[in-house]
Amino acid sequence: MANDLVVAPMLVVLASIVAMLALRPRPRAQRVASVAGSLAYAVAVGAVAWLIVLSPDAPGAATYQLGGWAAPFGITFVVDALSAFMLTIAAVVGLAAVVFSVVFVDRANQGVFYHLLFHCLLLGVTGAFLTGDLFNLFVWFEVMLMASYVLVAFYGGPQHTAAGFRYLVLNVVGSVLLLLAVGGLYATTGTLNMADMSRRLADPAAYGIDPAPVVGLGALAFATFSLKAGLVPFQFWVPGAYRSAPLPVAATLAGVTKKVGMYAIVRVYFTVFAGATVGISVPGAAGASPLAFLAPALLVMGSASILVGGLGAIACDTLDEMLAYSSIGQVGFIAVPVAIAAAAPPGSLRRLGLVAALVYALHHALAKSLLFFATAAIRSATGTHRLSDLGGLASRAPVLAGCFFVGSLSLVGIPPLTGFFGKFLVFEAAARQFTASSGLAGGAVIAVVLVGAVLTILYTTRAWTRSFWGRRTPAVEGATVRRSQVAVLVGLAALIVCLGIGFDPVFEFATAAAEAALDREGYVELVGPAGGDGA
Amino acid sequence: MSVALATVVGGLFALGTFLLLRRDLVRVVWGVSVLSQAANVYLISMGGVQPGTHDTVPVLDAHGGAVPETTDPLVQALVLTAIVISFGTTAFALVLTYRAYQENETMDVQEWR
Amino acid sequence: MKTTARIVVPIILVLAISLLLQGHNLPGGGFIAGVLTTVAFALIYVAQGLDYLDSGVLGQEVESGAGVFEHRSVTAFRQTFMVGLAVAVASGFAALLFDEPFLTQTFVIVEHLPLYHELEFASALAFDVGVYMVVVGVLLTILSVVGAE
Repeated sequence: MANDLVVAPMLVVLASIVAMLALRPRPRAQRVASVAGSLAYAVAVGAVAWLIVLSPDAPGAATYQLGGWAAPFGITFVVDALSAFMLTIAAVVGLAAVVFSVVFVDRANQGVFYHLLFHCLLLGVTGAFLTGDLFNLFVWFEVMLMASYVLVAFYGGPQHTAAGFRYLVLNVVGSVLLLLAVGGLYATTGTLNMADMSRRLADPAAYGIDPAPVVGLGALAFATFSLKAGLVPFQFWVPGAYRSAPLPVAATLAGVTKKVGMYAIVRVYFTVFAGATVGISVPGAAGASPLAFLAPALLVMGSASILVGGLGAIACDTLDEMLAYSSIGQVGFIAVPVAIAAAAPPGSLRRLGLVAALVYALHHALAKSLLFFATAAIRSATGTHRLSDLGGLASRAPVLAGCFFVGSLSLVGIPPLTGFFGKFLVFEAAARQFTASSGLAGGAVIAVVLVGAVLTILYTTRAWTRSFWGRRTPAVEGATVRRSQVAVLVGLAALIVCLGIGFDPVFEFATAAAEAALDREGYVELVGPAGGDGA
Repeated sequence: MSVALATVVGGLFALGTFLLLRRDLVRVVWGVSVLSQAANVYLISMGGVQPGTHDTVPVLDAHGGAVPETTDPLVQALVLTAIVISFGTTAFALVLTYRAYQENETMDVQEWR
Repeated sequence: MKTTARIVVPIILVLAISLLLQGHNLPGGGFIAGVLTTVAFALIYVAQGLDYLDSGVLGQEVESGAGVFEHRSVTAFRQTFMVGLAVAVASGFAALLFDEPFLTQTFVIVEHLPLYHELEFASALAFDVGVYMVVVGVLLTILSVVGAE
């Protein structure tokens, strides 16, 4: 029963894709079916999360062998707490984005392939979170990217083809690198199944493999994953692509697809590579696990992302550009605790780092979607999202302003919103790493996170005062705010407040997810790849 | 054999990178496609070519005959998938090229706004 | 050109179908058969022009002003794509009905047939047909729409 549930989210998305195609001649029915499909997806994910991971008598994790082929030969789908947590983020953001698309995107644009592509995006994301096979991960990445290429290039306004083309070329190069990593790992370990690979890397002598190439191959995969996540120095596609995509899609790209990159880093490094020991010593990397090589690189990239994103966001003169830069910075806030966890010895600090990253990922997905939707509502009300053309919206549209305010506060990290807990855990991880190592690096991390938090306050305040306070501009004076759009915003804002107040279950879920990510042996045992005699 | 494969992979990557950095949009699309092919050749070479035994080609065990050299079939399946994906990507890149040409009336990347 | 197309197109189509039918355990399969079929259609387009399928085969008057999306052939291609996707997904779902994992395949060998002696029916063929239709539908839609620009 539990095992059959694993594929449920994927089957729901597949069914809605077919429904989208079949209902193409009837746009109205298609929109209804799209909302129903994403609702069903959310229900399926909820069932997976509750029945497999959260409920008291749940097994905690489950696997599914596609087509009945046993691991490590067939493709395994795995749901553990980590997958379930990420799926939940995807389901919430996906549902909100579909509903908001229905009331925001041009009816004519929706009619063509918009909903179909959106569900394809969701399909890729679902597959990437579920799969337990490295090559299959690559395939789901491509499914996700294909849909996002079209959404970025064709559904934005005119003149966005250039941004779409850059996005495409960069991601093709990224995919090639990932393919190199996957091929190399296959040649090194003789398997593609993540659990099998993890088992073989933990005991290389028994399987007659030399794990040294894993460091370099892992670095190739890491480069691709951080390209997807938009970490510095791979961040330059982000602003262009986000401004070209329709705003609900931009919210999904920032809220979900970026997290797929971070998820892949956590899954591959903490669950697959963590057991390996390699006899290479590199200055700056303590220890001989691939994790030790990840830590300094990810730390530098995350810190740079925080600074670049924050500084970029301050200099922007449109709301959507500001949000795009801000999401670069916020992904940095997710990367830094992951790096801290990678540097820490196995134990509570490592777990704390991952919990911080996961909670922050959830918070960022919610807050950034809310802000993107609010920007979209502002644009459809006033026809602009240039800061210089806005002003005085707070008195013209108080509810919309309230929602934007909640989103901004959450991004800044004011209690009791979810953002507070995200920031708090990140700071706690940084502080504990400082006391544990008390080196120069630890202090620098705290400094960077602090500067990043201040920058967040600066740019959200700037956006708030410029667009919501001050004298009403002509654009704002003639604004007509659509009730249906504001209703979605209020729903999301309420969710942020509720999750912030009732934070305990979220924290428990995130802790379970972090433990699942770190439980390498448990993962191997769960998948149970055959042929374990080492022959 | 492996030297030849390594040379081909290296050459394809060099060519692909060179094309990718050109100003002409069509050349860039060529570069994308050559890079994907380079990755495919690399994947094939990762499977390796081994002298066959009756263990690796069991069908010949019963039917007699000399056992040929064998390659890993798994990487071939991977490459098939990768080819389909790069095929789709290249088609989409060409469509985008056409659209970019219509919008900007130039094939030169540097003259884009 | 037209003569060449007249001879070559049927050969390509037969080859495509044979590749489709043997795909479950020999080289071949839905994707490659679909690409070959598209090549045959591309030859027809090159030899006879874009309107030939509508005016010559389907017997429909082509208005020169109408957009390419209104062509009956293009509508047919899109429907092929749709049906194909539905078939492929449904063939995966079918396994669930028999309480097997998603996408599970099986086969039966029918013996004592006249002429063929024995014939293997693989359920993977249903999936392959779906893939075939998707590939043909998508590629021909792209080909005819982009070709009409």
